[in-house]
Amino acid sequence: MKHFSFTLPGRAAYVAATALLLNACAPAQDTPTPTAALNLSRYLAVGDTYTAGVSAGGLTRASQQYSFPNLLAQQFQGISAGAAFTQPLLEAGSGTGYLNFVDFTASGLARTTRVAGQAFRGNLIITPGTCGTPDTTRLLTRAATASALPQNLGIPGITLAQLETVGLGNEVNAKPGTPFNPYFERLLPAADSRTYLQAVTDAAATATFFTYFQGLDDLMPYVRSGGQCGANPAALPSITVMRNNARKVLDRLTAKGQPGVIIRLPALTSLPFLRAGQGLSLQARLQASFGDTARIYIEDPIGLRGAQPITNGDYVLATAIARIGRPTPVVVNGATLMLPYGRDSRNPVRDADVLDNSEELSRIAGVMSSYNNELDRLASTIYKLPILTPSASTSTLDSEVLLFNQVAGTISVAGVQYSSEVVRGNFFSLDYYTLTPRGNGLLANTIIAALNRAYRTKIPAIDVNKLPATAQ
Amino acid sequence: MWATGRGLGCYRLAVYICFPIFRKTARMRQPLLFLIPVFCGLTASASGYDSGPQGARVLGLGGASTAYINSIASLSTNPGLLGQWADSLTRISIGGMGQIRRASFVGQDTYQRTDQDLVVQPGGYLYATHALNKRVALGLAITTPYGYHTKWPSTWEGRSVIQESQLNTYFVQPTVGIRLNDNFSAGVGFVYAFGKYSQRSALGQYDDQAAQTQLSASGSGFGVNAGLYGRSGDNLSFGISYRSSVQLKMNNGTLTTTGVPARDAGLAPAASAFTTRITMPSTLSVGIADRITKKLLLTFDFSLSGWSSVDSLKLNVAATGNTPARTQSSVRRYEDALSFRVGTEYQVNPKLTVLGGFHYDETPVRDEYINPEFLDANRLGVSAGLSYQLSSRLALEAAYAFDYSQLRTARVAPTNAKVSNVAGTYRMAVNTASVGIAVAF
Repeated sequence: MKHFSFTLPGRAAYVAATALLLNACAPAQDTPTPTAALNLSRYLAVGDTYTAGVSAGGLTRASQQYSFPNLLAQQFQGISAGAAFTQPLLEAGSGTGYLNFVDFTASGLARTTRVAGQAFRGNLIITPGTCGTPDTTRLLTRAATASALPQNLGIPGITLAQLETVGLGNEVNAKPGTPFNPYFERLLPAADSRTYLQAVTDAAATATFFTYFQGLDDLMPYVRSGGQCGANPAALPSITVMRNNARKVLDRLTAKGQPGVIIRLPALTSLPFLRAGQGLSLQARLQASFGDTARIYIEDPIGLRGAQPITNGDYVLATAIARIGRPTPVVVNGATLMLPYGRDSRNPVRDADVLDNSEELSRIAGVMSSYNNELDRLASTIYKLPILTPSASTSTLDSEVLLFNQVAGTISVAGVQYSSEVVRGNFFSLDYYTLTPRGNGLLANTIIAALNRAYRTKIPAIDVNKLPATAQ
Repeated sequence: MWATGRGLGCYRLAVYICFPIFRKTARMRQPLLFLIPVFCGLTASASGYDSGPQGARVLGLGGASTAYINSIASLSTNPGLLGQWADSLTRISIGGMGQIRRASFVGQDTYQRTDQDLVVQPGGYLYATHALNKRVALGLAITTPYGYHTKWPSTWEGRSVIQESQLNTYFVQPTVGIRLNDNFSAGVGFVYAFGKYSQRSALGQYDDQAAQTQLSASGSGFGVNAGLYGRSGDNLSFGISYRSSVQLKMNNGTLTTTGVPARDAGLAPAASAFTTRITMPSTLSVGIADRITKKLLLTFDFSLSGWSSVDSLKLNVAATGNTPARTQSSVRRYEDALSFRVGTEYQVNPKLTVLGGFHYDETPVRDEYINPEFLDANRLGVSAGLSYQLSSRLALEAAYAFDYSQLRTARVAPTNAKVSNVAGTYRMAVNTASVGIAVAF
């Protein structure tokens, strides 16, 4: 038998084995080079609760870091070297206090506890008589950025109506009966009486790009009070003021022709604050949970009849859902009876706990659509921004069409489902209104996708499934 | 380019294949006629989780072995060849195989590139033939014809779609071959198949990185394999074979989840039982071998794999505690796929034979159903091998094949929430190597 040496076949096998090892590397693919035709070096975010990064009913350092403007800015920094983004960060800790998840009740409602905040200074100030907003307020620790305005100018609770309120952020106004916003106060140096519009003007002077997502906080007090702001139709936010003041802010932001993203407000019924209590689905859930066929009754908004069955256009507020079906004392024909709240025609859901279709919801939705249409008009005809929402042909970013409405019907992102359900939906936080870090990531990705479409930039999106499911 | 006009191309090929066969069979008596309806019923055919030619020598030949009688490894491709080995020799061929199937992924929106982890899918083969008399021979083939091992980094973008998935199959095929006359032989084999399937993916809805769902199952199934071999003159031969599809019935599956928070314990029980069915496609092959000179042989094969029998992966999960029974389904909707193979063999000297091959494999995976669990694409491959006669009875065989795929783009509609997938582009390369010995005594 011939001795097997390194002859031609041997060498061929050796070459083949070497080739095998070399080719075992995965085949290469070109990755797109992140580029931006836009100058994203100094981004300014203007807005309210969403922009500020409130999550689970509170603002903390962690929730600020997962605000959509900050997530967006991090992606910008990857392609625009040296681009910084400053936020008025709170000290690490519980911030202004927030909600923690405890468990689900038998009917599937999330129970929460409130963790006390620690970022306060001074005493509690009682401010009664405000409509749908907290009736207490407290000064917050001043931001480290107070000497120069931060790039995230999102102020929780600020309304467009307060745009030119002098002293809104001055400590001397922290008293009952005067408009005051502690979140704005902590951004400014002490005893600064600048209006929010002035702050925006100052910050916009150096900005190269902006996002504008404001107006929800104008509408939410009406929604949170079940349309009961002093039983006065004038309590509806003024359409004219909202439209005019939005223009004032946007004029400043685009003063030097800066490009930006104007975000159209999402439908109120896409927010779980209303959606979780949508009439017939809530009724069906309660029927399944109680094992009966009782209907839900709401007070007749006009007051002609005592109670009427709930329809699918009426929304029980998220803050009231836990009370539906609990026995409460009601006086019927002189006798006090314990009747299940809302699940008996003699004990209907009070008007303050429900946003009914015929009166309240249509009114507030009318305000919103008028405001949104003005944003569309400004974006396309005044500021000449490119089309950001192709399906709706608007130059605004239609957050309802591009995100909130899709989430309401459940979406799947790289194998993870997101819905408008709190806790399990991973999009909205425990306060039924603000977003989780992942929700903010999806909002930031929606903006990135729109910029990439409209400006032919290549800004990488965020792997949202890697973000935490809760901010705290 | 790849996608468009593909359906038409397959149709044309099918016609092209059916037609000459019909003429041939009409000329040479009828044993083949029963196959024609089966053959022409298929629109196109091979790739998918086919792990390649089962034998070092046929791997070197690019798999074009339906009419190739120089290795008994052709037995798994065409049992009709068995009659050709009805001589006084007992033959055994045994060897090992290793396959590295590796893909890279670039996220559509994140632009992040992820490479699959390097894993070797092991395989092997054992063939034996022995003649009972001059007309009848018995054969046995033990092969690992289907399987894959996909392993992504556990924190990659699509971790909630898939992290790891593995399929292994073992086919045992006792075969009877009959030499009909000097020029024709036929054979039929009975296939017993055993397979194991396992999968794991992250539960990305939870913050816990370790939250995972894992499943594993095994089962068996049966099939048949039949074929015919014919020769016209000394130089030209042809073969045709059909292997039925094999359905592995897996009734012992376990589905486990870890890292699920207490609030969702009712939605995802720690362990549940499930059953599933996994189908290996039918394969129809036709091949021609042409001896150009005394030393040079050329072979051609077409094969059609009936992948359309793979519609979806359905897990029938049994009820556990308060969690009701449910069906988890992921849609595959494979289509029949075709492969084209050319092989050549050249005898350098009495001891050394070198082999070369080229093949094109069409993928059964449609654009709409590209999924990282099992990635596949149309691919081109080249192969090389050798057979070295260590003694008059013992030959050493070795071969290597390299396949490179087209770029595939997976698009995902997030609003279709039932579909768990990740959007991006993939490219794949397959390296297969095999070493074995062939003995005749």
